[in-house]
Amino acid sequence: MTIRTDNRLLDGAPMQALSCRQCGATVGVRKASWHQTSIQWDTESVNACLERRAAGPGGGPNGAAFTGCAALSDSIRQAVLDGAVTVPDAWTEDTDQ
Amino acid sequence: MGLTVRPRFTAPTLTNGDKCVLKGWIDVTAGEAGNDGVRAIEAEAVPTRFARGWHCLGLSKTFKDGEPHTVNAFGQKLVIFQSGDGRLNVLDAYCRHMGADLSQGTIKGDEIACPFHDWRWGGDGRCKKIPYSRRVPLRARTSAWTTMDQDGMLFVWNDPEGNPPPPDVTIPRIEGATSDEWTDWVWKEIVVNTNCREVVDNVVDMAHFFYVHYSFPTYFKNIFEGPVATQIMKGMGRPDMRPPAKDGEPQMRGNTSIASYHGPSFMIDDLTYHYDNMDLHSVLINAHYPIDANSFVLHSGIIVRRSDQLPAGAAEVMAGKLGDFILRGFDQDVQIWKHKTRIDNPLLCEEDGPVYQLRRWYEQFYVDVADVRPEMVERFEFELDTTRPIEVWQQEVEANLARRAAESRTP
Repeated sequence: MTIRTDNRLLDGAPMQALSCRQCGATVGVRKASWHQTSIQWDTESVNACLERRAAGPGGGPNGAAFTGCAALSDSIRQAVLDGAVTVPDAWTEDTDQ
Repeated sequence: MGLTVRPRFTAPTLTNGDKCVLKGWIDVTAGEAGNDGVRAIEAEAVPTRFARGWHCLGLSKTFKDGEPHTVNAFGQKLVIFQSGDGRLNVLDAYCRHMGADLSQGTIKGDEIACPFHDWRWGGDGRCKKIPYSRRVPLRARTSAWTTMDQDGMLFVWNDPEGNPPPPDVTIPRIEGATSDEWTDWVWKEIVVNTNCREVVDNVVDMAHFFYVHYSFPTYFKNIFEGPVATQIMKGMGRPDMRPPAKDGEPQMRGNTSIASYHGPSFMIDDLTYHYDNMDLHSVLINAHYPIDANSFVLHSGIIVRRSDQLPAGAAEVMAGKLGDFILRGFDQDVQIWKHKTRIDNPLLCEEDGPVYQLRRWYEQFYVDVADVRPEMVERFEFELDTTRPIEVWQQEVEANLARRAAESRTP
């Protein structure tokens, strides 16, 4: 089956490259709003992530899943505050159409 | 790619002069649809191959009654039988001799005996003996599936390329399944007449949990990595859908769920219900196997952990109730699936989950191992902004409660 592109990537905010301030791993980040975040990793960034390496498996049958990196979240938050990662303006979204 | 573009035949989209005589779908191009600006629904044909991976066929004890069992899966008819050594074996059901159905036969020692001429087939797929013949002919071999009997469930490994399961592709152990601290499995299954991609889509579909299942998600995140797709969801109760607890009964406040698909078809949900006086720990299985391209068997299994507040007996009752509750949830999904169309180009808003990225992940199971591309397995995270949904759903819940209160005042 053809792999298709998310219509929101075509019509909305793009993925932007961002380096983690902790480990330097470069990931793709997309913010549709302050509370929404998409993060695209690759093998290199996954291997570079210190938190991931340090994380032991959590409890329960799905405990092996790494739920996320706090340092990267902080880096994204800071990048949004600095304007390095842009967040669409909620007001224009609401008044669009 | 044999792309089929289908316009939606709802009356308002037809332009002047169009004859509205069409029943069901016809294949036309977007241009032929003649509705500029109308978004066409696109759908390729359903895949003709079946996903590579472990598939759960049900509780293993079901197959340990001394009888062979018929299972229709992966577009074939299979026979499942327990050999004398205790192992569960899965073979193609059709005897290579004259084509009879081995699942109508008899278990004899370690072999399944064909009902037609008593040919004996072993769990490795080889014909071991033909009682009325001196010799077994060459090439007397049928297809055999690799099986795994784990935590009370029978799994088969399906691989269109015919390779054995790699050691790192596993189903995690479920501690509670073999512990006396937990109940036994409460297991249900239904047949669903649509392609199984529909059930997998649900793992990213936050909003349907409110509208279809009457739950109230407040936090929602997906993580895809390698063969695992995870959904982390927190929710609160729906007082408009669930009557308040009676005096003395605990009131449910919310739930925390960590659900992962381990491969294409087997989801384990580590699910905790929060009550005002206790946490109820459960593990929920949501698994399926394809019967063919347009139907699948959907399983649910649940176990509940016993506790001081939920001793033996009460825990079993609770597991039974939850099992019924989940089955109702399946029925709610089925009502949607029965009437919907397949759609490869869903039109998503920002408060929807990562449907496209999920399908990119899912595609890894439908291509040869050599064709799995990095983008299908690389880690992807998506945290949904629930601010707006919570706001709107709160209002809807309150409106429902107010309406009900008004109705009860005016008999």
